[in-house]
Amino acid sequence: MDRMPSQISTFSLLLFILVLYNFSTVDGNAEGDALFALKTRLTDPNNVLQSWDPTLINPCMWLHVTCNFQNSVSRVDLGNANLNGQLVPELGQLVNLQYLEIFGNNISGIIPEELGNLTSLVSLDLYENQLQGHIPKTLGKLQKLRYLRLNNNALRGTIPYSLTTITTLQVLDLSNNHLRGYVPVNGSFSHFTPISFANNPKLIVPALPQAPAPAPAPAPAPLVS
Amino acid sequence: MAPCNKSIIITCVLMIISITFSKATDTDINCLKAFKDSMEDPQNFLSSWNFSTTPEGYICAFVGIECWNSNSNRVLNIRLPNMGLKGMLPLDLANCTSMTGLDLSGNLLYGTLPTNISKILPYVTSLDLSSNNFSGQIPRDLANCSFLNVVRLENNAFSGQIPLDLGRLTRIREFNVANNSLFGPVPVFRNGNISAESYAGNSGLCGGPLPPCEGPANKTRI
Repeated sequence: MDRMPSQISTFSLLLFILVLYNFSTVDGNAEGDALFALKTRLTDPNNVLQSWDPTLINPCMWLHVTCNFQNSVSRVDLGNANLNGQLVPELGQLVNLQYLEIFGNNISGIIPEELGNLTSLVSLDLYENQLQGHIPKTLGKLQKLRYLRLNNNALRGTIPYSLTTITTLQVLDLSNNHLRGYVPVNGSFSHFTPISFANNPKLIVPALPQAPAPAPAPAPAPLVS
Repeated sequence: MAPCNKSIIITCVLMIISITFSKATDTDINCLKAFKDSMEDPQNFLSSWNFSTTPEGYICAFVGIECWNSNSNRVLNIRLPNMGLKGMLPLDLANCTSMTGLDLSGNLLYGTLPTNISKILPYVTSLDLSSNNFSGQIPRDLANCSFLNVVRLENNAFSGQIPLDLGRLTRIREFNVANNSLFGPVPVFRNGNISAESYAGNSGLCGGPLPPCEGPANKTRI
């Protein structure tokens, strides 16, 4: 009879520990794992990732990482950080990410197609690196994207037409790459000029149609020749 | 002797390299300097335009300036609406060679638009000069600004006819010349649905969404 209370209290203690453990492995940790996977693929001579400690509950206290009010990663700011190495598919797990700023580094390898899963993304800045391979057509899924700057890399292949469906796109820079094929002019791409596509020697920027000025009907004697 | 010559050569090469790299963005700096110099700015909105510092990307923090990216001084947009600026449209805007957006609406700008405007703003996609005191004709050369999506010239004193060549602009989706002194037939835009409101408040525009132009030519207008 005396053993019962101590058994119950041991059981309650175990239960309490289990519950605590459950609460400590919320999604914040999965995002920390994803970012840590990035850290392991990068070489970081300036030690900018020194604070990226995967044993913390979530990555929100890491430098260069910003979280929203729900402790989910909204920004990664690693521009001009002298980083080498490659990007990782795990970045696609940061579902609330709005700003991915990894410009001005020495990053090589491809743009993971998993970045197409970042449907909250507003800014994708990978410019001034050494990225290779194609622009993934999955990026067409980023329907809130405003800034897409992939200029000054070594990207090849064609420009995915899916990008023309992103109506929010304000700034597009694909210049200084090795892209080829035709530049789309429909959809959101009507706002973009040859500046966005410059210095891609094999890229064909279509000549704008030189339609003759249609004659209005009926008109007074035209003063323009 | 030999080491001395070598270091001179290296210094010269480095100087040439740095001049070459800075030249690309010097033009944008000159563009903005000339713009500021050509404007009266009674409310001092352009006081943040301080040209005495030199780090790359510093003009990107100027009020009204949006750069292509934060790593270089390439102007993407100039947006300075309602700032009480007074002056003529500076031709030095041509030095902002990567500019696609220009919004100077709601100021006190005056004078005519340059007849070679497509050389000044070759890549402009959105041009808003509305609510100023511009006068004279809308230049025919505007039709060579092939990338224009939005043209807003309303609330000025533009006169004469609208160049029908503007119908060649295939990307136009907004074209507003309301409240000017324009007359004659309106252009036929292939892909744009321009409403009658965009032509309202003029001296006799006709055609398109407006009543058709009358048959016999009226060569003189009041």
